[in-house]
Amino acid sequence: MDKSTQTEIFFGPNHPGVPGNYGINYNFEGDTVTAAEANAGHLHRGFEKLMEERIWIKNTALVPRICVEEPDINEMVYAMGFEAIGEIEVPRRADYIRSIILELARIQGHIFSIGGNAAGIGQYTIMNWGTLTRDYILDIFEEITGARVYHIYIRPGGVRQDIEAETFAKILDLMNELENERFPDLEKTLFENPNAQKRWQGKAVITKEEAIEMGATGPVLRANGVPHDLRKMMPYAAYDDVEFEVPTGDNGDAWDRIKIARDDMLQSIKIIRQLINKIPDGPVQTDLGNGLKYRIPKGDAYVKIESKRGEYGYYMVSDGSLKPYRVHVRGASTPLGLYGVREYLPGTRIADVPVWAKSLGICPPEFDR
Amino acid sequence: MANDKKSIFSPVTAFKNLVKKPETVRYPAESNDAAKRYRGFHINDLEDCIGCSTCQEVCVNDAISMVEMLDVPAEEGQRSERPQIDYGRCCWCGLCVDVCTTGSLEMSRDYSYIEIDPDSFIVTPAEKDINQVDHPLGYLRDEHSDLLDLKRIDMEMLEPEERINSFIEIVEGFSKEQAEKEASRCVECEICTDTCPASMNIPQYIRGIFDDDLEESLEQIYEDNPLPEICGRVCTHTCEGVCAISHRGEAVSIRWLKRYAVDNVDSADYKKVLGTEKIEQNNKKVAVVGAGPAGLSAAHYLSVMGYQITVYDSKEKAGGMMRYGIPEYRLPYDALDKDINYIKSLGVDFVFNTRIGENITLDELHEQYDAVFAATGLHNGRSTRVPGTDNNNVYQAVNLLADIARGKEVPVTRNLVVIGGGNVAMDIARSMARIQMDKYGEVNITVTSLETEDIMPADQEEIEEAREEGIVFKPGRGPKEIEVNEDGTLAQLCTNCCVSVFDEEMNFSPTFDDSDIENYECDMVIEAIGQGGDNSYIDDQFEIEYAGPRIKINDYSQTSVDWLFAGGDIALGPDVITAIKTGHDAAVGIDMYLNDEL
Amino acid sequence: MRNEKELLELINVHLDPPAAEIKRKQNVSVSIKQENLIQALSFLKSHSYQHLSTISCVDWLDEGEFELVYHLFSYDDYINISLKTRIKREPGVFQTAKEIWPVAEFYERDIHEFFGVEFKGNDNLEEMILENWQHLPPMRKDFDTRKFVNDNYEWRDYNGQKHTD
Repeated sequence: MDKSTQTEIFFGPNHPGVPGNYGINYNFEGDTVTAAEANAGHLHRGFEKLMEERIWIKNTALVPRICVEEPDINEMVYAMGFEAIGEIEVPRRADYIRSIILELARIQGHIFSIGGNAAGIGQYTIMNWGTLTRDYILDIFEEITGARVYHIYIRPGGVRQDIEAETFAKILDLMNELENERFPDLEKTLFENPNAQKRWQGKAVITKEEAIEMGATGPVLRANGVPHDLRKMMPYAAYDDVEFEVPTGDNGDAWDRIKIARDDMLQSIKIIRQLINKIPDGPVQTDLGNGLKYRIPKGDAYVKIESKRGEYGYYMVSDGSLKPYRVHVRGASTPLGLYGVREYLPGTRIADVPVWAKSLGICPPEFDR
Repeated sequence: MANDKKSIFSPVTAFKNLVKKPETVRYPAESNDAAKRYRGFHINDLEDCIGCSTCQEVCVNDAISMVEMLDVPAEEGQRSERPQIDYGRCCWCGLCVDVCTTGSLEMSRDYSYIEIDPDSFIVTPAEKDINQVDHPLGYLRDEHSDLLDLKRIDMEMLEPEERINSFIEIVEGFSKEQAEKEASRCVECEICTDTCPASMNIPQYIRGIFDDDLEESLEQIYEDNPLPEICGRVCTHTCEGVCAISHRGEAVSIRWLKRYAVDNVDSADYKKVLGTEKIEQNNKKVAVVGAGPAGLSAAHYLSVMGYQITVYDSKEKAGGMMRYGIPEYRLPYDALDKDINYIKSLGVDFVFNTRIGENITLDELHEQYDAVFAATGLHNGRSTRVPGTDNNNVYQAVNLLADIARGKEVPVTRNLVVIGGGNVAMDIARSMARIQMDKYGEVNITVTSLETEDIMPADQEEIEEAREEGIVFKPGRGPKEIEVNEDGTLAQLCTNCCVSVFDEEMNFSPTFDDSDIENYECDMVIEAIGQGGDNSYIDDQFEIEYAGPRIKINDYSQTSVDWLFAGGDIALGPDVITAIKTGHDAAVGIDMYLNDEL
Repeated sequence: MRNEKELLELINVHLDPPAAEIKRKQNVSVSIKQENLIQALSFLKSHSYQHLSTISCVDWLDEGEFELVYHLFSYDDYINISLKTRIKREPGVFQTAKEIWPVAEFYERDIHEFFGVEFKGNDNLEEMILENWQHLPPMRKDFDTRKFVNDNYEWRDYNGQKHTD
């Protein structure tokens, strides 16, 4: 590489163009990136070691803080891992409530990240709309769980408290409002905007072979026409009881991925309506005894769910004591943020680097932990 | 891509928002109230709170410390500490509310607090939260989010029809799964240890059961109690009365867990587990008078310290009231012997059928031994002394119980009355019921006491089980006379209504209503109204200080005569565990005295 | 499209593992000796197990071993395989898997940083998350976090109360 024509810059970690505390050190020539390297580790808080020092129930308050945008996926996989090793059955009503929470989390996560993507191309109105719409969903979460962002609601054995009928009615009203007012507005303002289409079409292409080779899942893989979704492949919670489609794209570019995000939200609305319609009565928690003395036999499990960005999994090992022996967090964007940056970012123009980083859904806490 | 709509007028859609009301909340002109379940700042009912520190245990961020409150007394069942929360560390997860044993800790809907001084963010939540303003309640624990295990494992017991036919032990004991589940209910707050007269390491031995490490349990138990087989069956368990779980649920079955732990360690392993295989002797000798719980406890702890012990007892075997007072269906003899044999195996000598004051004097003991511990107990039954009590058919409960323990045949008639409302009355009534059932095929026993049932000193479980076995209760009656027939047999017990037992200063001063008469037909009366002791072997030879009817002792069980230590019922009552404590204190005291430190 | 039993048969026949079992629905766990692991990965990849989720490491301090677990998934069978192997803690050396999956380079870099395992053939094992770290690799079980904090930082006193730790 001819050093006299290359410039190296630090893009991030404190920059509105990157999704979170994450930096990309890249060399560019002219205005095209020629080599890139991830600058990760700014958000390292040592979760995995912290979890080994606390008893099982205490970790339910620690785990959601790994990911800000969608904290419920952490609570869900932690509980699923505990239940898998301990062979604990969860009541059916709790499964339904968990699915409702996860789908609401998916909607608010997607609308927030569509806002983030729009900010990456300079459309700050959409960013504000994204944050605003998310806020109404956070109000629903506040009513169900008692907190807006870190819910600490899904626990091993079920969920923490039941949902009342008025809250279900509010959720359905909000779904109607989203479907009839806000999403059509979003459609007209952003998706029919030729400027946005031009900025996103054909950019940040990841092909099907590249995605599978890397281990990328979720919208990144589905944008190439394959409908791989863990909710259909390895159903968990109540997803085997509902009908929904898995949206896909054709070209594997940023435009497809953002359209998939929008379609995912519409499917989630459908799923939530079905779940609220069919939810059975019953208890919401299996009795596991004294919370300070939760204990499961020796064993290990790798459990994963479909988060909004793809496969999100925990590998949990128990040695039969009161604390977890090892919890390994595998985020959906780990391969993209570390490996994908080096292999597939070179060749993009500088102005498209935020488009690349945000449309792939790189979430730094997933690999920094 | 081909069918994506596009229009350059699309952003115009956003302009409609110019004329709409803004969706942000104009704070503080508009208020933004939190939802009903919001997890806001904490409030704590300082009177309900017992300072168990379970909230501190579960806090993820170490945000809670327990601080001494000067205006809260440390009385039975609570500590004088209360939780203090550091809001710089708290994450408002609400786990402390879910685990609170009394339900005193709650959360309000308040979420806003603005102050320059960072130290003001550390507060002890009280009736009002950090803002000192009344706020509606927020997140509350309900039956789904409750993290405590409130229900006890039921103990298997024999049915009444089976029980009445023999003296077999009624309580069957826990299985391994039951014991582990019951042990998991403990939150290790140690309020039980505060209440136990012997300050036993209760959460520690319960944890040993939970970890399936019964040897650890045994070690922890023997630190303060050398008679666990006995206490695991008959202790008065005040610990269970103050257990933190008992506030919202059922107390942890501490007594049955202690029994499980010691039942499942083989006697042959005791010395190895407790580290007493080899004890260095110091060649000093101590005499113990009385082989009851106090004497056995002193003998055990002194032996472990290296002293040579000789225990004297006027009866034929060791055990005192535990063998000769408590019936076999409550405390089987092989359990009693397991504890006593371990103490014997430490090298303690026992001399039976020897009464101090008759066969050997206290003065002679003082010359032959370096120190003496007296724990002779209260073995003389008291009498109501109403007319008729001098008849041959009127007995003392303690004498009959002792004979039953020896295996001797006792007189039993078809129609019995027992006078008394304490555990001794229950013991004799239920023992005689079994003997009656065996001899006559039916139970015909009436128990009458001054106290009405709500203030009867006997354990509630004893009264209920006695009822199940066919015993009839007539509480609140005072005995007036025992009518005797011309041929010397008994006719009936005449009673009056007992209006009150204690006067305003809680002194024993019963009052009666002579117009209310009830008579109970009977041909045998047993009195179980209390016991007295015989300390003549001490008083005849030495000037010793008394505190009321009991010998006065200091914290080391030392009397006013410096080489003479006393314990058990003659110095401090009223139960086995207190006697054990006085024995342990005496061992420590004698050791200090013989090293010139007391 | 195989089910769990057929997959287990395939593995038992071709890989001869010391242990293989169906853990739970759609989950199979296989233990492999360390010298056969890379070959096993290659075999499974060519039999539709193309998705490598991640590589995990578990420190079994009392047994003196590290356990490396490779999580594979097939888009045909919909089954998860956890492929486990054990290496000695001293010297803590293993081969790289990046010839089969290039992305494994970064998973191994992470394990090197936090556990100290060296992967032969992977020359990109520099620090990634931590910065100028001079102590034991922190995820090891003999790294005491409380002691580290007490040795390197100072506690702040609040409200006149000294922090006791």
